[in-house]
Amino acid sequence: MRYTEFTPFDLWLLAQGLGVTVGLFLVTSLIGVAIGVLWGVVRFYRVPVLMQVITFVAEVLKNSPVLVQLFLVFFGFPAFFKLNMTPVNAAIITLSLNTAAFVYVIAVSSIESIGRDQVEAARVFGLSRWQVLRHVIAPQAMAFSIGPLTALLVNQLQVTSLISVIGVMDLSKIGANLNLRTLKPFIVWTAVGILYYLAAKLVATLGAKLEKRLRAHSAFRGL
Amino acid sequence: MLKVENVKKAFGGTIVLDGVNLTVNPGEVVSILGSSGSGKSTLIRCINGLEKLNAGRITVDDFDVSKPKELAEARKRSGTVFQLFNLYPHMSALQNITLAPIEVLKRPKAEAEAEGRALLASVGLGDRADAYPAQLSGGQRQRVGICRALAMQPRYLLLDEVTSALDPEMTSEVLDILAKLAKSGTTMVFVTHEIEFARQISNRIVFLEKGVLLVDLPTAEFFSAEGGLAQPRVAQFLSKMRKD
Ligand SMILES: Nc1ncnc2c1ncn2[C@@H]1O[C@H](COP(=O)(O)OP(=O)(O)O)[C@@H](O)[C@H]1O
Ligand SMILES: [Mg+2]
Repeated sequence: MRYTEFTPFDLWLLAQGLGVTVGLFLVTSLIGVAIGVLWGVVRFYRVPVLMQVITFVAEVLKNSPVLVQLFLVFFGFPAFFKLNMTPVNAAIITLSLNTAAFVYVIAVSSIESIGRDQVEAARVFGLSRWQVLRHVIAPQAMAFSIGPLTALLVNQLQVTSLISVIGVMDLSKIGANLNLRTLKPFIVWTAVGILYYLAAKLVATLGAKLEKRLRAHSAFRGL
Repeated sequence: MLKVENVKKAFGGTIVLDGVNLTVNPGEVVSILGSSGSGKSTLIRCINGLEKLNAGRITVDDFDVSKPKELAEARKRSGTVFQLFNLYPHMSALQNITLAPIEVLKRPKAEAEAEGRALLASVGLGDRADAYPAQLSGGQRQRVGICRALAMQPRYLLLDEVTSALDPEMTSEVLDILAKLAKSGTTMVFVTHEIEFARQISNRIVFLEKGVLLVDLPTAEFFSAEGGLAQPRVAQFLSKMRKD
């Protein structure tokens, strides 16, 4: 490719890349949080077998590089199971599961942070396990987990940049393309970096706002 | 009737309850005395279904706490007040009280709240309904704890050292309430170290020692020389408690 100067159209390309990054981030975060919380609930109910399987899967996901997981999902599984896998689908599956594994850890530790004594009191007054989860544990666990969850999501936003290596046209991939075309790495990567920073800052701010609201709403100590 | 029959409970190799028998009739106040570690809390936790029995049977109005299907009914009939209050910290005093009536007894919210407020007023906390546990003193928290148990209209009130985490002034505010409840005919199983108070309100006093119910006597007899005091362990315990 012959190199050329920046054009106004490049801004549009960057915006598109940002859109793909943010879109994938939102989708995978939603799926990841839903799955991670569900896994946490399974553990709360101590569902035999399923609970062990989940703990094992989460361990594997947490302790292996996302890039390796991505290659396995994009190249490995399709070759082995003879499936079709688009880059976007591979990205969604990998990032969602990776987020789920870390959300699971946060969910478990926030559920466990709720004092046994309160749970026992609720049980003694006849509340079912589900009612205890819904009325006693969940509201407190949510306030407790929002901080770690925000930190996790800010990190997962950065992790999305890995999907550029399998050809998803996210912000990093657009940056790489622009860089090749203009041969102006300093300008390109500064601009891309600022965009990631702003998106991350937005996530962090929203998380902090939510946390503040959850805690103000429950005017009690010990959280 | 609340019946504990030959109940045995061990944690690992440690035997904590060793064949306990106890019957509490409606309208009775039965105090359980015994030194620390004698198994008093464990007995209460067996009655309200928090611990599984190794042997024996506990029935609350004929509902067997060891049978999952009957435990719910048994629990509806007994209300527990805990040593460390065990309130829900994210809920106001009123919400602490109304949670179970609304969720378990399916009482309409407005009704449950009206009753909750009336209960709070009756223990002198009419103006603290919206306070969170952390905003209340220990004595106030325990009064909320008592209201929470009473809101379920239990036939048997189980109280496990409900004043031992409180200073003397707060202790007396809580004991005043318990005295009123006893007078009004509330059935109570009352684990305590407040010997004098137990003597005033109890119909019967039982003494637990290393998981064995050594003595089960009407209050006056328990404190008489030929009755409870004839047991060296009881005499020893009472004289030690009086010194403290
Ligand atoms: N969950 C438990 N696991 C192991 N040992 C326990 C447990 N709960 C109580 N114990 C033991 O049982 C004995 C009786 O305890 P407890 O019923 O709390 O006595 P009390 O209330 O009379 O002071 C103690 O030796 C205590 O250490
Ligand atoms: Mg105890």
